[in-house]
Amino acid sequence: MPPSQLKRLKASLRDQGIVGPQRSKKQKKQNAQNGADKEKRVNRTTALNGIREQFNPFEYRMPAKGPKFEVTTSNGIESRNGKGVIRRPGAANSRDQERLDRLLDTDIRRRNKVGGILDKRFGENDPRMAPEEKMLERFTREKQSRHSKSSAFDLEDDDMPGELTHMGQSLSLDGPAIVDDFDEDELELSDAEDHPSDEERQSKKRRRISGEEEFDDEEDGEEGNQPERKKSKQEVMKEVIAKSKLHKYERQAAKDNDEDLREELDKELSNIHELLRGIAPRSQPVPVAQITGMDPDRAALLNGTDKIQFDKDYDMQVKKLTQDKRSKPTERSKTEDERVAEESRKLQDLEAKRLRRMQGAPESSDGEHSEDEAVKEDGLDMEEEDFGLGSGVRTRPSKLSRPTMAELGIDDEDDFLIDEDLVASDSDIEPSDEDSGDDSSQEDEGDDDVEFLEGLLTEEESKRPEFLTGSNAPLPETEPLLANGVNGDLAYTFVCPESHEELLQVTRGVVILDLPTVVQRIRALYHPKLKAENKAKLGNFAVALVDHIYYLANQPNRTPFSVLETLIRHIHSLAKTFPVEIANSFRSYLAEIQEGRALSPTAGDLVLFTAIGTIFPTSDHFHQVVTPAILSMGRYIGQKIPYSLSDYTTGAYLCTLCLQYQKLSRRYIPELISFIENTLCALTPTKLTKLPGNFPYHEPKGSVRIEDGFVSPKQLSFYDCMSQDIPAGDKESSKMSLLMTNLELLDVAADIWAGKPAFTEVFEPVSHIIQHLESKRCRSKLSEATLTSVTKLSLKLQRMLKHAHLARRPLELHHHRPLAIKTSIPKFEESYNPDRHYDPDKERTEASKLKKEYKREKKGAIRDLRKDAKSIAREALKDKKERDAAYEKKYKRLVAEIQGEEGRESKAYEREKEWRKKGRK
Amino acid sequence: MPGPVDDSNRPAKRKRASLDRKPSKRARSESSDEDSQAQILLLEHEIFESKKNYNNIAKLIKILGADTEDADDSVVAAISLCRVFMRFMVAGELEKRKGSTEKDLVVIKWLRERYSEYKAALLELLGEYVIGNTALELCMRLLKAEGEHFRNGQDYNFPTAFLAEIIQVLLMPETEDSARKEFSEKFVEENDDVRFYTFECIEKLLGDGLQTPNLFDNALEVLTTIESVPEKKEELEDFYVAAPKKTTHALYSLTQHKKRAQSAWLALLRIEMSKEQRKSILGLMDNSIAPWFMRPELLMDFLTDSYDAGGSTSLLALSGVFYLIEQRNLDYPAFYRKLYSLIDAGILHSKHRSKFFRLLDTFLGSTHLPAVLVASFLKKLARLTLYAPPAGIVVVVPWIYNLLKKHPSCTFMIHRETRSAEEKEILENEGLADPFNMDEKDPMETGAIESSLWEIVMLQSHYHPNVATLAKIISEQFTKNAYNMEDFLDHSYGSMLEAELSKDIKKAPVVEFEIPKKIFTKYDVEAGIEDNLVVKLWDFN
Repeated sequence: MPPSQLKRLKASLRDQGIVGPQRSKKQKKQNAQNGADKEKRVNRTTALNGIREQFNPFEYRMPAKGPKFEVTTSNGIESRNGKGVIRRPGAANSRDQERLDRLLDTDIRRRNKVGGILDKRFGENDPRMAPEEKMLERFTREKQSRHSKSSAFDLEDDDMPGELTHMGQSLSLDGPAIVDDFDEDELELSDAEDHPSDEERQSKKRRRISGEEEFDDEEDGEEGNQPERKKSKQEVMKEVIAKSKLHKYERQAAKDNDEDLREELDKELSNIHELLRGIAPRSQPVPVAQITGMDPDRAALLNGTDKIQFDKDYDMQVKKLTQDKRSKPTERSKTEDERVAEESRKLQDLEAKRLRRMQGAPESSDGEHSEDEAVKEDGLDMEEEDFGLGSGVRTRPSKLSRPTMAELGIDDEDDFLIDEDLVASDSDIEPSDEDSGDDSSQEDEGDDDVEFLEGLLTEEESKRPEFLTGSNAPLPETEPLLANGVNGDLAYTFVCPESHEELLQVTRGVVILDLPTVVQRIRALYHPKLKAENKAKLGNFAVALVDHIYYLANQPNRTPFSVLETLIRHIHSLAKTFPVEIANSFRSYLAEIQEGRALSPTAGDLVLFTAIGTIFPTSDHFHQVVTPAILSMGRYIGQKIPYSLSDYTTGAYLCTLCLQYQKLSRRYIPELISFIENTLCALTPTKLTKLPGNFPYHEPKGSVRIEDGFVSPKQLSFYDCMSQDIPAGDKESSKMSLLMTNLELLDVAADIWAGKPAFTEVFEPVSHIIQHLESKRCRSKLSEATLTSVTKLSLKLQRMLKHAHLARRPLELHHHRPLAIKTSIPKFEESYNPDRHYDPDKERTEASKLKKEYKREKKGAIRDLRKDAKSIAREALKDKKERDAAYEKKYKRLVAEIQGEEGRESKAYEREKEWRKKGRK
Repeated sequence: MPGPVDDSNRPAKRKRASLDRKPSKRARSESSDEDSQAQILLLEHEIFESKKNYNNIAKLIKILGADTEDADDSVVAAISLCRVFMRFMVAGELEKRKGSTEKDLVVIKWLRERYSEYKAALLELLGEYVIGNTALELCMRLLKAEGEHFRNGQDYNFPTAFLAEIIQVLLMPETEDSARKEFSEKFVEENDDVRFYTFECIEKLLGDGLQTPNLFDNALEVLTTIESVPEKKEELEDFYVAAPKKTTHALYSLTQHKKRAQSAWLALLRIEMSKEQRKSILGLMDNSIAPWFMRPELLMDFLTDSYDAGGSTSLLALSGVFYLIEQRNLDYPAFYRKLYSLIDAGILHSKHRSKFFRLLDTFLGSTHLPAVLVASFLKKLARLTLYAPPAGIVVVVPWIYNLLKKHPSCTFMIHRETRSAEEKEILENEGLADPFNMDEKDPMETGAIESSLWEIVMLQSHYHPNVATLAKIISEQFTKNAYNMEDFLDHSYGSMLEAELSKDIKKAPVVEFEIPKKIFTKYDVEAGIEDNLVVKLWDFN
């Protein structure tokens, strides 16, 4: 165990000889004489200091550890030896302290002083006052002092000694002659630097601690004892500024000169090159005009040769330029083969487009792209899981009777997105399609029109000037009539009807068979190529035509279908030009049907459905008109509970249409099978013992069972759908024809849906029903011809079912690539530092950073403030001590003086007394 | 006290009489009309003036009961008499007092007899058109007065007998609906005590085996209008007759209230009812009936009977039965078998489709159900979609998806690989018959799990594009957890069409490129083009 601190101290004191055994008087005297004492005293202080340092553990700070590996530093050998630098924090501290003290000292001393003078101006060092306020206050003070004083020489007033003068001149700032140095602009800046406000000084002081204090002090000192100036500061500054400006200008000028010189030299460089290479310089053509970089013509113009001529030329040039056309290859007339090839290619294109639409892929020019998109859309579908089914039934039994978004008229965004996907599945690459499509459709249209108009105009008609010139002015209706039309009195010109009423008006006197001719004439008269507004007119006319076919079909006096057919073909041809208008008018009819007569369609509705089936492509995955149309038909055959034969007939007609719609796309219609089975079950001569299949069977109220199957069936007529009361005699025949039609429909349906995965499920019950028709119970009631067709169908179905049975395989739908499990790899820090915070939250890190900084700053500030306060206190103490010492000294001096005087006096008194004593004596 | 009206033809007669009277009333001069009414008022006034004129009461009752008199007269008379008797009751003149003499007792007895007569006459009026409501109002006033003044020395006395008479008249088939409606809406619904005793009376009346036509309907009407089930004891504070002072009275007890209601409903359920009535009761079960029942087990018999009935009745009883099974530990053997049998050809066309599927979703929600059973449900519904409307398909497909997701062992129905070579060869040579037996009643025996959902694949080519797209979800990867069934339940042809038609055409629709030469007429034979189907099958001449 090392000896205690005290023992060590004693030992070291003894070693140094500071304490030791008492010396004898003799020794002391000896020492004093030979000066050893004095020497010792000097040594003593150093020794003591050494000991003090030795025993203060904080006096030295060794480097904690030498560098682990050898490094090269600027410090050289020592650090390399592993010793490092020994630092003395105590000393450094006290040095800092001292420096700070000195600084503060000067600060405190110089407070409120400018130069050596105490600055007593109002509010000079008040940071809370704005400069304006200060000025104002000062101004008022001065004014007050001037006016309130009755006399300038009032002796009582001692805080304002009147106006100061210097050498007889007023020092007041009002004086025009003398301007206070303080207010000079130039000085303000330098002044501000020299006499910073308190805060500035404070911060500066801190900066100074790092070592530039002497320099500052010097400056201060200089300023303190500046010699008297000859010139005013302003003047000096002006001079300085002027000088610097002059210098600057001179520099600039010199530089410019240099630059010019260099440029000239650069120009000459090529010549020098040539000289060096020994090539004679080319004689340059003499420029026409000095103005370089300008058109010679223009130059000439500027020279004022012939301005008018030039203008003309210029205009001509511009015109020529604008009229210039790019040369085009002339169209070669195509050979027959080429034309056929082109035709077939066009058809193939159309077919490919149709197929794409059928698959519900967006229509686009390049196939790959579209496929990609389709995939993407599918993905979207899966994600957004909206299938565009609409908002469901309004009377939702939801307890919260809050209106859905759709009800409010705000489509859900997702909804909207998806709907668009599904709806306009072929709308994505619209522009390009439009472009190409437009052109071709224009052409097509032209072709069609020609076909239509030509085919319908007789030669005789086409010879007539109206048609040749295509005169277009709407002539009055009472045109001289010529022998044409059915009655030979059909007019040649008509006002273009723009609504159904107008159309009715126009065709009022026209025989129904002439209607196609009328329509065709109107179309010829108002051909869009003839006049701009004809297009709109024809658009309205097309809509009116749609109205008209509905109207005609609903007429009790049955319109011949040849007329309707031609009208529909006209509408079809017009639809190529006005697809939106016609689609909208069809859709409005569909909406009407849906609202008013979903389960009791009129003849007009049936004709409209038929028209839709021919005008629009029914194979599309989605079509704005076809989809609602087939849905409406499905609604009838799905929901109608047939009561009469006409209901069955209507259903059969719609089933026929449905099948025709699905002829190409072969989509499945559940309602159709259900309806046909229902019809067959209702028609069979005897009731089935057990209903096959899973359709809801509705036993009609009045039996429609076939009673007399030997009546020869006729072909069902369109108007059978409408006739409510079939004469009893015809009833059996109607039933038979219904039966036959339905069997035909089944035949077609089986063909269409052959190969579908659930063919067996769908057609097995059908087969059962047909077998029932063949069975003994029914056989007796059916004619031979019927039975043969039944048997034929039955055999066919049997065969197909067998095929289906053979072809059936278990479903293997999910050969998907297995989905990868979502991984989230933890983030790995390369060089993890436990002291650092790896907070992923950026905001939080920022906040904590700021907090930390604030804490640090606060600590620093407090420390500074404490230090300041300490040193101020020390300063104050020192001051006080000095003052006390001075007082003491003075006091002592006075006492001594008095005592001396007193002594002298007492001596004198003694002397006097002595003398008197002597004298008396 | 007069008993219930014996001769049931009497009110009818009255009605006829009043009908006969109407034209004559118009013909009569108004002055005479006013005269008779003034006379009635005079009579009434005289009664108040002196006891001697008490005989006027008899006169007034006569006017009231007289058939031939004017209807207005009888109303005025009824009102006057009501005033008279109310005043008597308030004055206590109908009650024996201690110091009353022999003579007084005779008067009281006589007055009471008149009062009974009056009440009987009033009850007769109750069943009539227009006057019925006034009569009801008067009856209820008297009821209130009786309750407040005929205490019979007790602290609280509700005139139950009188109320029973009123209700009996109200339940009569001849009684007009308006009176019944007013009674239940204005008095029963508003006042806790009237409701309390009404339930009691109805129970008694129904329990007595009163046999009148329409009794069931009328009682049902009265009972269903009572909707305000008290939930807290503090709610019991609206009393028609002054409330009993004792806080322990049955009227203050919530359980007593519910008990009365419960027994009234049970009494109603015991009555023979038609299928339609049963359905309407089942429809009311959730909202009107169940809240009154403290012991829903009591509904067990009724619900199981209904559930066994089959058809839509079963559908309606389903939720009730399920509640009992789930909460009240009802043991319903072969519940799933029954449920399976409910899935018939009509289910996807039924208007209860969405309700059924909501329940079905719950019933099959458990992952502990055997996969075989779930597969049977899946396959059967899939089979039904082949005949279903789009709205039905749209319900079934996501439901199938959800169940497949819940019961992964059922996914064999959409993905079954044949691995062994022999099996493949057999498939190649013999094809495959559907192992599923549609006619099997037991869902555990159908063999559905061995089958595949070819039907849904077929629907992927449904004519409606949205349905087709939806059906494709079962061949996509099953990445989604579950579909929210609520999005798919409430669709119909109408809503789907509206969804399509309400959208504006943004892009020009595609028009068929080729314009057919013939639409309704046949092609020439030599043209060599095939006629379209419509032309082939239909005659357009």
